Amino acid sequence: MAYSDKVVDHYNNPRNVGTLDKSAQEVGTGLVGAPECGDVMRLQIRVNPETQVIEEAKFKTFGCGSAIASSSLATEWIKGRKVEEALEIKNTDIVKELSLPPVKIHCSVLAEDAIRAAIGDWKKKNGVAETAPAATAAAQ
Amino acid sequence: MLNAQESTITTTAPAVCWACLAQLESVLIAQSVSSKGSALFCPHCGKIQPPAGGNYFSIFGLVPRLNLDLGMLERQFHKLSRKLHPDRFARASENEKEWSLAQSSLLNDAYRTLKDPLTRTYYLLKLHGAEIGEEFAGKDRKDPSRVPADLLEEVFELNMQLEEMRMNRKMGEVDEQLQSDLQQAEKKFLALQDEVDEQLHTEWTKWDEGDAQTRETAQKTMMALLDRRRYLSNLVRDVTETLGA
Repeated sequence: MAYSDKVVDHYNNPRNVGTLDKSAQEVGTGLVGAPECGDVMRLQIRVNPETQVIEEAKFKTFGCGSAIASSSLATEWIKGRKVEEALEIKNTDIVKELSLPPVKIHCSVLAEDAIRAAIGDWKKKNGVAETAPAATAAAQ
Repeated sequence: MLNAQESTITTTAPAVCWACLAQLESVLIAQSVSSKGSALFCPHCGKIQPPAGGNYFSIFGLVPRLNLDLGMLERQFHKLSRKLHPDRFARASENEKEWSLAQSSLLNDAYRTLKDPLTRTYYLLKLHGAEIGEEFAGKDRKDPSRVPADLLEEVFELNMQLEEMRMNRKMGEVDEQLQSDLQQAEKKFLALQDEVDEQLHTEWTKWDEGDAQTRETAQKTMMALLDRRRYLSNLVRDVTETLGA
């Protein structure tokens, strides 16, 4: 099975590979895995507490080319978006953009899960419930 | 008595022997109780049968079980291998020659699959309609029990260390601390692997002896265990490869 040009491009030049300080208040970390293939994906975001905008996104993925491309694309897409907007990204958008074949759809699911996990972690850290506008909501 | 699931597996063989016209179906049902006779030969006249839609267990005349008598499996394998030897078909008809070759390769596949505890579990669960393998990946995402979440952190860390080790090697450097860390990790994951295998054994017995509902629960547990097992064996393989490179 051949990878699409876009997958190859992300694989050869992955965007936003790296690590953010996990313990920082404004950083959210999502770690997800796919048991079927043993892939693991870590996606991190740094959110501006004033504007709720994701100013920085980093990932590190151990897995196949499609998993790396999916997470690379995910970081590109969420950067500059508000948290709530980033949650609107669906795995099907990733499938379309990267022309993933059916057997690789789970890679895009993994990337969507990673976004949700990272945002969930950030929300928990900052006591943000659902769509609360600011990080000043009561901490749990 | 056979339950509905088993009968759908065992009755797909041709109904009569091509040589003596004896009923094969009744024999197949009898054999799943008595554990005698292989589906490869007619139990009446002993003639080889064309490959039919049976399963790996019926080839050996064994009841489909997870707790398999491995001694029996091996004895049957040797016995059937001898019976299928090409020398024995030197003067047989062209059809029989062809069937004996086809059955030989089937027999080898069946033996390899059933001998190994993991491939046997996969095989039998799949035979019973379990959705396992890459083709079903991502379908079950609503069921969080399928992702070994407690392992993720360690898996990730280990992958980072492995990457560092490979980089070091490329640069011609040796980091002894890292090397011993990885050796520790290898030991740990091997132990975890044994743990999973033990848990699988417990579920095997539940599945073998349980009713439909028990089986369903055991199957779910086994699928989660197999996921964990796959993660672990991939890790062990990677660590061993990197350490041994």
